[in-house]
Amino acid sequence: MKKHSVLLKEELCEGCTNCVKNCPTKAIRVHNGKAMIRDELCIDCAECIRICAYHAKHSQTAEIADVSSYKYPIALVPPSFYGQFKGLNPARVRVALYELGFKEVIDVSLAAEALSRKTSEFLASNPGIYISSSCPVVVRLIKILYPELTGHLIPFKAPTDAMGEKARKDAIAKGVAPEDIGVFLLTPCPGKNTNIFDPVGIENSPIDKTIAVTQAYQAVLAALEKTQDVAEEDLPVPYLGLGWGQSGGEVQLLHEQVQDYSLSVSGIHRVRALLNELSRNNIKGVRYFELSACEFGCVGGVFNVVNPFQARSDLRRLRAKGKTMIEQNEGYDFDLPGKFEPLQIGRLDGDLEKAMEKLTQLEEEIAVLPGLDCAACGAPDCKTLAEDIVTGVASRTDCIFLLRKQMGDLAETLSALLYELPPVMKKEKTDGKVG
Amino acid sequence: MQEQILIQSKIEKGDFTRGGEVSSSLKDILRKLGVPSDTSRRVTIVTYELEMNIIIHSLGGEITVLISSEQIKVIAEDQGPGIPDVEQAFQPGYSTADDFVRGMGFGAGMGLNNVKHYSDQLTVETGQGKKSKFIASVYF
Ligand code: SF4
Repeated sequence: MKKHSVLLKEELCEGCTNCVKNCPTKAIRVHNGKAMIRDELCIDCAECIRICAYHAKHSQTAEIADVSSYKYPIALVPPSFYGQFKGLNPARVRVALYELGFKEVIDVSLAAEALSRKTSEFLASNPGIYISSSCPVVVRLIKILYPELTGHLIPFKAPTDAMGEKARKDAIAKGVAPEDIGVFLLTPCPGKNTNIFDPVGIENSPIDKTIAVTQAYQAVLAALEKTQDVAEEDLPVPYLGLGWGQSGGEVQLLHEQVQDYSLSVSGIHRVRALLNELSRNNIKGVRYFELSACEFGCVGGVFNVVNPFQARSDLRRLRAKGKTMIEQNEGYDFDLPGKFEPLQIGRLDGDLEKAMEKLTQLEEEIAVLPGLDCAACGAPDCKTLAEDIVTGVASRTDCIFLLRKQMGDLAETLSALLYELPPVMKKEKTDGKVG
Repeated sequence: MQEQILIQSKIEKGDFTRGGEVSSSLKDILRKLGVPSDTSRRVTIVTYELEMNIIIHSLGGEITVLISSEQIKVIAEDQGPGIPDVEQAFQPGYSTADDFVRGMGFGAGMGLNNVKHYSDQLTVETGQGKKSKFIASVYF
């Protein structure tokens, strides 16, 4: 089964270990000169795509051409998408998407607005600290590295999922045959693509395919050329919800009282730093955390075409046009069927006692390794190599320093052997006489 | 399983730059051991607070964390100067008039109050001008 959206083009990989060192979950190792991703640890954050100078990491999604493979294709447009068109009227962009063959073009911002209302109500009546579960990469990060915090993830579906479910339901209610419906998300990131085959919090994804912004961009530009502007009334824009496309936009839509006790953090490494503090209870006075894996939020997704600085400022200007949330008959189902469950990953052994033994071994290995964290072994740092040695997937000689030392020792033994003479020649020299 | 040391670390007075190091490494170790996440969270919080207590309020000391089949035990010993009024030291340090924040549950307490709140058993030996010793246990 397909597990991830972030993949490696082997032929391009130079084995440089930049990605190895930058992966937040330490999921990458270089073996035989090629990077490889450990499936169980990868959260599809795309940091490795961002950092690879050789463009060896990539991600695949559907294309605009795939739209025609469904009789009733629906486009879900996330807020960040509108950050890609120099502040152009979002309604205008939607018209272009209709031109590309979509039967419906729906703003995820609508679900975002509805979810904001729901979140405010939830926080007012449920004590405790909550973390937004809208960024699937953050949810995966927490499940893997911060299992103790999974209970703090707010038990709601992400706007894209709730919107997808609603769009499908509404279309069926209109009489469209379920098998004709194809729900497409114009995704800014691989993380949301992974949701299709490995959704977080729900059983099955309501989304059939994602199309990366990079895949759709030129087609949309061409369609914009061909189409006319529309009147605001005809295609109302949920401006306030558009704020969700950049970090801080979610909090901005909460009730004022909740806003004062909320915090927005973006960028996977900063999110990790925040979660480290949170897991030792070292952040006081905050009840709600809006966390996005990408810097600046969804406008920072790797699939975007426009740089995140530009997109963020354009999106902010659009959002400022909003006065109130759009009236809509709700009909969303945000409640998760179950709870977010932590994943038990990274254990040394299933048995506590055996795990303790391995922990002792681990400390021994760490003591032997040089502690330079050079990554030449293919692991991100000495501690991780030690872990790989103990779990049996690497060996000490993977460390070039230990290998060098071993070779030095061997050379010494060799040269010592060199001066050992064969028995027939082993005569004691006694004044030139044969003894 | 017999009691074994998980981590042992000296802590300098006023060494804020290293504040939280012991609890961070400990959290990582507990995950490797597959300790249930709730237990791990409580132990991490207790250790962090005791670690910071040594850095902020004492002349320096040491943290030792032990594990057995039944419990994880955090021992914090310092070089003084001791706590004259233990009762007061355990008061929740964080107070606000706002109900919205009071509803936080997790996160409302501060310092030693947190140690008490998150451990199953706690003993404290201290007094004015004395060395202090905290033993906090979290049961499996
Ligand atoms: S996508 Fe993120 S988690 Fe996965 S290998 Fe790349 S950097 Fe690591």
